[in-house]
Amino acid sequence: MTDQAVSVGSLTLKNPILTASGCFGYGLEYDDFYDVATLGGICTKGLSLHPRLGNAPERICETPAGMLNAIGLANVGVEVFCAEKLPKLRARGVTVIANIFASSVEDFVAIAERLDAESGVAAIELNVSCPNVKEGGIEFGKDPLMSARVTEAVRKATRIPLWVKMSPEAGDIAAVAKACEAAGADAVTAINTIRGLSIDSELRRARLANSTGGLSGPALRPIALRIVWELAGKVSIPIIGIGGIFTARDAIEFLLAGATAVQVGTANFSDPAAAKKIADGVREYCETRGLAAKDLIGIARP
Amino acid sequence: MTVLSRRELITATLLQRESIGEQYHVLTFDVPKGIAAEPGQFTMLRGAEWGEAPLLPRPMSYLTAGTTPSVLIKVAGEGTIRMARSTPGEPFTLLGPLGNTWRPPAQGRRPVLVAGGVGIAPLLFFARRLHETGIRPLAIYGGRTTRDLPLDDELSEIADVTLATEDGSRGHHGRVTDVLAKMLSEDALVYTCGPDRMMAKIAELCAERDVPCEVSLETPMACGYGVCLGCPVPTTDAGYIYACTQGPCIDARRVAWGKGEHAPHKRPEPKRIAP
Repeated sequence: MTDQAVSVGSLTLKNPILTASGCFGYGLEYDDFYDVATLGGICTKGLSLHPRLGNAPERICETPAGMLNAIGLANVGVEVFCAEKLPKLRARGVTVIANIFASSVEDFVAIAERLDAESGVAAIELNVSCPNVKEGGIEFGKDPLMSARVTEAVRKATRIPLWVKMSPEAGDIAAVAKACEAAGADAVTAINTIRGLSIDSELRRARLANSTGGLSGPALRPIALRIVWELAGKVSIPIIGIGGIFTARDAIEFLLAGATAVQVGTANFSDPAAAKKIADGVREYCETRGLAAKDLIGIARP
Repeated sequence: MTVLSRRELITATLLQRESIGEQYHVLTFDVPKGIAAEPGQFTMLRGAEWGEAPLLPRPMSYLTAGTTPSVLIKVAGEGTIRMARSTPGEPFTLLGPLGNTWRPPAQGRRPVLVAGGVGIAPLLFFARRLHETGIRPLAIYGGRTTRDLPLDDELSEIADVTLATEDGSRGHHGRVTDVLAKMLSEDALVYTCGPDRMMAKIAELCAERDVPCEVSLETPMACGYGVCLGCPVPTTDAGYIYACTQGPCIDARRVAWGKGEHAPHKRPEPKRIAP
């Protein structure tokens, strides 16, 4: 058995495979498939201060080697999460990363304070990069100053480790990441989806009600990998890699590029046990080579 | 035979592809341990060797369950084109059984099944189940032309069927809704699956005459088990519900037909191009 544990700041994950926010519900939908406590962790559906219904249909469509989504952050709200979901996750021993979303700094702080009152939240991931909502979201994540303001304010509100999820649409992603690091972030997650568009040539309309949607899946992978690679040379806090990871080989590429851990997103849709299979595959890769998971981090870098 | 009761992703080989014209195909799989799916439920189906495109599995109602589960597909896009060309021995992944089932028929009510085209699949499965319990339902089955009535013979064996085609090439010349409007009695219990517009009209007819009606909704979905949130259905009482876990079989009165531009039965007409 090789050591699969990795450290993200003060937080030790039992292995480097997490599931991505928005692609894994609240982690309680998997009882039929496997024990999600075996994963490095799960990132919850983006939590807002109050419940959100989300966007009108159509919300999703498939694109070449990927998909577009404009869900609009439909979620139960932080209160219901704390009352109904978190106790079950705690009881199962799941490493929980609470992904949170707000359209104001004050609301980000309020959600973080609510989570701070609970035990069993291993980290908070700030979603400052959602492309599918009118306010907040990506507008924070594109701007280093705004990202830093959110990070700094939440940092003061909680002692829970803070991750900030990067938008690939920021002009200078490294500047955003560095600003978040300086403001007290423990890690950066790279990347969120990139906005895309699909049009139905028969109906002559955009396929999604929101017109544009976030592109995820393998189509995103080379871009995400390149951004992780670039950020690894610019920040000293850990990077959580995400973007179209479908196999253990994909996950290993992100680790080699400089990610400390990775998140599996869209792959969960076609196989509910995708993250477990990827974790098993990374372990096998390490075992046959006599390596620990942390040995892989950044090895491909010049 | 061990019967599955929980949801599971299995890899199964295709036993047979029976093509009914170019558009419709019945795919039958080899699942020695069996799938305990009930009428109304669906599977997320994908070729195991498709690679990364088409990426997502496709939701398909079970036509049969057990050790040789089958689905009826209609060619609509890249995924169903691949399925239509598949050959015996080819591996597929099936996630299921997913979703809820048709509600059981109520005492004193005669089931009336109204199918449009490929919507026959969950209703034929249901009719077979009713047949096993000694119930012979009424059925109305329609399509644009005679080519859009796959498996009509199978349905006729176990139900009293009225066929309808929009071009008059077979059965009643017109729509299933015309037929239903004439024959709908107060003691009916309507089950329907087909195009959204058809189901919306049927829901309206049933509501007018205070007849219970259950619809099986088809929407795009990525996962089929409640996490992607890609399949919201606007309701009259609870905001959105999700077709994958709270459906696909839903009381027609709960569906907010026509609420919002993209609501189910408002699939928009093509945008006009000025000459």
